Amino acid sequence: MLCASLAFASLALAALPSALPGEGAGEDESVEQHWSFRPLRRPAVPASDAAHPVDAFLDSARGAAGIAAAPPADPRSFARRAYLDVIGLPPSPEEVAAYVAAAARDERAARAALIERLLASPRHGERWARHWLDVVRFAESDGFETNQPRPNAWPYRDYVIRAFNEDLPFPRFVREQLAGDQLGVDEATGFLVGGPWDRVKSPDPVLTANQRADELHDMVATTGSAFLGLTVGCARCHDHKFDPISQRDYTALVAVFAGVQHGERPLAKLREARAAELAALEPELAELERALEEAEPLADPASSSPRRAAVSSKRNTERFAPRLATALRFEIERTNSGSEPCIDELELHDAQGQNHARAARVVSSGDYAGDPQHRLEHLCDGIVGNAKSWISNTPGRGWVELELAAPAVVERVVWGRDREARFADRTAIDYRISLRDDAGSWGEVASACDRASESMPLTGPLAELSREHRELHARVAELRAVPQVYAGRFEAPPPTQLCHRGDPMQPRERVAPGGIRSLAGFELAEEAPEAERRAALAEWIVARENPLPARVIANRLWHYHFGNGLVATPSDFGRNGARPAHPELLDWLACELLDHGGSLKHLHRLLLTSAAYARSSRIDDLAHARDGSNRLLWRFSPRRLEAETLRDALLSVSGELDLRMGGPGFDLFEPNDNYVKVYRTKERALPGDLRRMVYQAKPRSELDTLFGVFDCPDAGQIQPQRNASTTPLQSLALWNSRFVLERAEAFAARVRRELAERPASGNAAEVRRAYALVFARSPEPEEEGAALALVEQHGLAALARVLLNSNEFVFLP
Amino acid sequence: MSRDACELSALGRAFLDRRSFLGGAANGLAGIALGALLGRERLLAREEPIRPRIDPSQPHAARSPHFAPRAQRVLLVFCSGALSHVDTFDWKPELVRRHDTPLPGGAGLVTFQGENGNLIRPLWEFRPRGESGKRTSELLPRIGSLADELCFVHSMTAKSNTHGPAENQMATGYTLDGFPSMGAWVSYALGSACDDLPAFVALPDPRGVPQIGTRQWAAGFLPAAFQGTPFRADEPIAHLATPAVIAPAEERASRELLRRLNERHLEQHPGDTQLAARIASYELASRMQLAAAEVSDLSQETRATRALYGADDAGNPLKARFAQNCLLARRLLERGVRFVQLVNGAYAMGEGVGNWDGHKTLKAQYEVHAPILDQPVAGLLIDLKQRGLLDDTLVAFVTEFGRMPTFQKGASGRDHNPHGFTVWLAGAGVKRGFSYGATDEFGHRAEVDPCTIYDLHATILHLLGLDHERLSFYHDGIERRLTDVHGEVLRGVLAS
Repeated sequence: MLCASLAFASLALAALPSALPGEGAGEDESVEQHWSFRPLRRPAVPASDAAHPVDAFLDSARGAAGIAAAPPADPRSFARRAYLDVIGLPPSPEEVAAYVAAAARDERAARAALIERLLASPRHGERWARHWLDVVRFAESDGFETNQPRPNAWPYRDYVIRAFNEDLPFPRFVREQLAGDQLGVDEATGFLVGGPWDRVKSPDPVLTANQRADELHDMVATTGSAFLGLTVGCARCHDHKFDPISQRDYTALVAVFAGVQHGERPLAKLREARAAELAALEPELAELERALEEAEPLADPASSSPRRAAVSSKRNTERFAPRLATALRFEIERTNSGSEPCIDELELHDAQGQNHARAARVVSSGDYAGDPQHRLEHLCDGIVGNAKSWISNTPGRGWVELELAAPAVVERVVWGRDREARFADRTAIDYRISLRDDAGSWGEVASACDRASESMPLTGPLAELSREHRELHARVAELRAVPQVYAGRFEAPPPTQLCHRGDPMQPRERVAPGGIRSLAGFELAEEAPEAERRAALAEWIVARENPLPARVIANRLWHYHFGNGLVATPSDFGRNGARPAHPELLDWLACELLDHGGSLKHLHRLLLTSAAYARSSRIDDLAHARDGSNRLLWRFSPRRLEAETLRDALLSVSGELDLRMGGPGFDLFEPNDNYVKVYRTKERALPGDLRRMVYQAKPRSELDTLFGVFDCPDAGQIQPQRNASTTPLQSLALWNSRFVLERAEAFAARVRRELAERPASGNAAEVRRAYALVFARSPEPEEEGAALALVEQHGLAALARVLLNSNEFVFLP
Repeated sequence: MSRDACELSALGRAFLDRRSFLGGAANGLAGIALGALLGRERLLAREEPIRPRIDPSQPHAARSPHFAPRAQRVLLVFCSGALSHVDTFDWKPELVRRHDTPLPGGAGLVTFQGENGNLIRPLWEFRPRGESGKRTSELLPRIGSLADELCFVHSMTAKSNTHGPAENQMATGYTLDGFPSMGAWVSYALGSACDDLPAFVALPDPRGVPQIGTRQWAAGFLPAAFQGTPFRADEPIAHLATPAVIAPAEERASRELLRRLNERHLEQHPGDTQLAARIASYELASRMQLAAAEVSDLSQETRATRALYGADDAGNPLKARFAQNCLLARRLLERGVRFVQLVNGAYAMGEGVGNWDGHKTLKAQYEVHAPILDQPVAGLLIDLKQRGLLDDTLVAFVTEFGRMPTFQKGASGRDHNPHGFTVWLAGAGVKRGFSYGATDEFGHRAEVDPCTIYDLHATILHLLGLDHERLSFYHDGIERRLTDVHGEVLRGVLAS
């Protein structure tokens, strides 16, 4: 054994460029000579007996190493492999049977036809979008302390699915993600802001500067790794240690994104489409509001019947008979949430509509400390909304008093908790409003006691008018609420300065937006407009002269199809990354991509129709001793299904998979609206949760207790390569979880249902059907006996639980 | 090269460590050839990184440290929300003398929530404790009474003054999301001395999860095998129990069929270690079912032991539940679990309500929180010592940052202060009754021997026999370390 392994070791060193990271960093190689920076030139396909160009490249290296290839996989295994890999779902027994029959006639034609069909399936985009979302650290919550959800981030996920299904040319895919707002694809720029964002802001300038630097760093680093395969982020504090990326280059890229802010923006296309209807309805609504206000009786603090509309957290009007006032007092006894009351703006109007509160001097019972959004001076500052509001310092209670600049005859008080309607807590629901006359005596003019409530609704003609108003208001609100998408907001960029040692508190010289200079970068004027910066970056990245993006994406496709990339470090093509196992093959694939209009499906097709992809996964002792890691692809490397494919496959065989595409995702966690969101895995999946896992509303940094143990990335960092660990917690989850037991029950029900329509019945037929659904094969005689015994004693669901836990089900063959 | 290295699965390959790769053939030509190859790595680090070699069928198998360790295991007590050092462990007589006067040089100082008012004396009296005479406050009297056992680090500093990034840094070394926690690094490096329990267990506060949630014990980009497993009181591990609807006979028969099915499949795919590892994982899981149930059965403890922790305190059910977590921590450590992370404080209820984030009404809030923490943690330390576990267990008591010596303007609480705060160590390999470093006369900024969270992490790894500059994992272009490119072992705290 020692002799054989020594022989292998030296052979491996001689024949194979190293796969291990770090081994490319030889100082004997200049930057220009580094393989991934060299211009892309189409290599000739080596002369070979192989019918397929991919195999011609592979065969020559394998042949040189003296290793024989494994025979082709049996058609059943090939079908399962192709389905699970290309669309992420197992084939039905009928699909397998059809393929096996076709392969018996002409295997190569059958394979090609199968691959064509799978690549055309909408399921393909769903499966491969998940890979891209790993690469770009996409998640639908903020991360950090509060980890609040981003309910409008999902359109980016749908965009990626659509892009892959429609075979959007790769350069276009790159452009849209960086500058989709300029190309009519707003949601594509979800890429820019797909990373973490610390929403906890502070008046502390050091913290604020560091938070912003982290946001920009995330955009620069992710852009660099996703499209260029370069660890640009390593040049944040100093010049890159291995690659020709200076700290100045890094800063130039920061300048490209300097105007990009986290947040939502409206989908422009929809906003335009709705403008006409909105223009017609808005005056109608204003008219109705005026009518409603006039129809509503004056406030009557002496009455306790519901005469006026219920308190709104947005805006309330209190009308009373005109009277002379020198001061106003607003006392709160109770709030809807029990927490300290909040008023965003308090107004006191005369008949001409002048607001006398604006010039009043304001005092209060006590103010909420510390938060600059909530200050007493915001109470009458003329600015509505939570960000400029007053909050009391006492739970449920508090008062404010306005000393008017001059006595005035007034007739109306207007107030609200948040007129921007983002917050509805802290609303005063038990309150009194009093005015002081010029003789110094106070009189109550309005209170909550004559307002309607849930238990005491409005009645009479006012109720009817109020209902009309509600309906029209809802429609207008719907039209105004153009769907927002979490795809970033774009602002005029401030100047960008190089940060000494990466510290934003040590700014040095100003840097204009640009690319990496050693890679024929671009440079814009320092004052270049925001949009132009991103567009220029996109053009530079996808320029035909830039050899990196095509190499990087070709390798990613290889990585996901074969389990390991030709370059073992898919997001690091720099000198510290691994060197390609088959550099000419990689270049040939990159050229194929570019010469076929950037079609990723063309590339998928090339890989999937190769003999290498169709090989058996069986181990040959000799080959294994020589190349245990299978870098020469003498066999197909089997692997455990990823978390998402496993869940999809469970639901697919149980017959429950809901194939609705797109839209807001389902939640694996119990709902809660805490300031710091708490993520507790739901006990049971609800019917709407049985969709493909790519449609999970994926929170950052939180993994559910079931699929989270299967190496799901948590999107705190990019994950261009998943781990595939095997742990007892996985076994416990798959063996004992309610989710899997319910799938086993549903599976048993499905089998019985299907057999009810067929002549065959009884336990033996159930066992055979169960094997067909899970493995796409018949049980062997001895298996059948053991399975039958379990079914007879413990029922079909018991067998289902076993099959769904088996290695044969859980591994890509 | 040994045969098993040839047979490594995908997981094994991902971990393939060039040192151990060399180890099997150190006397052969291959070793020389590889040595030459490794020589090219000079650029990478001062010394080549060490990636532990993981056996995919036993990811938790015990692995050797880099050098002789002082500690075999770690208990981390994490006080979430930022525990005020000036009200607990950092005695500042000048702060008492200058009570209600402005912080010198603090005019216009803006901290996390805004402006600050005057210096405010500790809200609890400090008293000398034990032989060392170390002064600690009456807020945590029982922990204070153990001052002779503790090694205080008074000059700790953090990079961020907001909870998310700061808890990230204390837990993972990085202020950003997505990095592996300390316990994940340790279980990746060392595996576990216990086959039947996870190598890394987290015990979340009974009130809920901390500010950064489960990221406190996440695996980040390390394989899921190394994530902290949260134990709960009712079900120690998620999905641990055989579901009630499955009768024992069905469970036995089902397991047996699964085993036969998997073995038959393995026969058809000889030599595939991934398949073998997965079969083994079911056996491990079934052992874990027994072991986790056993370790969680606190009824095995004597009444005296339970009383030591306050585990039956009927008047304070939250304290009783936290005390049960402390008792469970000891039982886990006793059975060889490598890293136990005990969390005190939860954030879901909002600022300061269930945690140490005392911005507005610090006194009232801390008087609720302190009894929950004090006796249970003190009881745990005493129990560990009585059983001799403190000899080879390192205890680290941490929080994400400290608090200001001033009150916030217009409030009766203290704002965040990352410039100087206290953590303490106890047990294996550290000095007893010792104080390292100091803040200025008010407790505002670290002044004597200022140190960083990197230093703390380096020290913890050092005590476990691990070189923090070499323990690494390759991710996204970099050999990642717990301590990034920083950290010096705090030699001053090490026992001779």
